[in-house]
Amino acid sequence: MEGIPIRNARRGDIPSLLLLWGAMMREFEEADARFALHPGAREYMATTFAAWIQDPTRIVVVAEERGRLVVGFAAGVVLAGNGWQVPVRLGRISDTYVAAPRRRQGLARRLAGRVMDLLYEKGVDTVRLAAAVRNEGALAFWRSMGWSDLEVVLERPVEPDAD
Amino acid sequence: MVEPQPPRPSVRAARRSDLQVLTDLRMRFLGEAAHDEPRLRLMPDARVRTEQAFPVWMGHDDRVILLAAPSEGEDEATPVAYAMGLLRRAPPILASQNVGEILEVYVTPEHRGEGLAAKLVAVLTDALVGRGAEVLRSAVPVGHVAATARLERAGYRPLQIELERSLGAG
Ligand SMILES: CC(C)(COP(=O)(O)OP(=O)(O)OC[C@H]1O[C@@H](n2cnc3c(N)ncnc32)[C@H](O)[C@@H]1OP(=O)(O)O)[C@@H](O)C(=O)NCCC(=O)NCCS
Repeated sequence: MEGIPIRNARRGDIPSLLLLWGAMMREFEEADARFALHPGAREYMATTFAAWIQDPTRIVVVAEERGRLVVGFAAGVVLAGNGWQVPVRLGRISDTYVAAPRRRQGLARRLAGRVMDLLYEKGVDTVRLAAAVRNEGALAFWRSMGWSDLEVVLERPVEPDAD
Repeated sequence: MVEPQPPRPSVRAARRSDLQVLTDLRMRFLGEAAHDEPRLRLMPDARVRTEQAFPVWMGHDDRVILLAAPSEGEDEATPVAYAMGLLRRAPPILASQNVGEILEVYVTPEHRGEGLAAKLVAVLTDALVGRGAEVLRSAVPVGHVAATARLERAGYRPLQIELERSLGAG
């Protein structure tokens, strides 16, 4: 099956990217209040997406249905390693999102796969990402793609909850 | 009769003159991490990089580097533990932008169980909060059950899992 085409994002995709990104962040916050958004987040992401699209160390791909409707996106970046532990260069997938009505059709698998291929072309052989512990769907998705857990990030408010 | 008190650990900020002891402690920390988790194995020049990094980090107000010795009042006692934290100002995406990160805490095996790590973490936490941290974070390699449990007792809760995949090998 060919499926919905995936291509590199262009400047004209920024409004669609912002809509999808906003929907993704709402899902994250609904699942876990610790992902509450900063009031300036949308504005910040508008400039950030514009910068990413021009940046050769960044990858942004979109899935576009019937040549007009962007229904998913994924983004990655090439980073230097920390300098003392392997790897020397590290790929990071920063975002992956598929609009709810288009899920479980293999679209995220193809979007993330495209980002990984492009990272590999840029000389990266290890990729990392962070997924929320309460996002069981995302964890199942990444593990199904051969990703394995490396670290758990724990958080505490400055005044610990009484729970 | 006065009961002998357990030694009270002394904690102080690291100084430039501590570079050697700090580097030694950090190499032991990184070595243990690499032993437990091959995906965190060391690069050949890890020691040189660490020696170069510490003086730079010590000049950054957002970074806190502490050393601990087993007993109080002996300022020159050889440090046997260290901790490092960072106040990271994240971009304006999540509401909590000022994140206090507990990056590294290490106690030499022969001094474990003496309360050094708890004292280091307490001083580090105060220092990060004093610099404006709104939340505190710490990353623990998967499978480090004891470290995770210790953080959970201190009010930490799992937030994210860091996942990894190799490319190219199939
Ligand atoms: C996670 C997400 C990107 C998956 O998108 P998708 O297009 O539905 O994923 P795919 O169809 O490519 O799934 C491939 C495989 O991953 C696994 N998988 C995907 N979603 C899953 C879920 N919710 N629960 C369990 N397994 C899941 C399945 O094995 C699936 O294969 P199958 O459908 O044949 O069983 C999507 O649910 C999403 O956008 N969620 C919100 C944003 C998000 O969490 N992003 C990831 C942040 S780390």
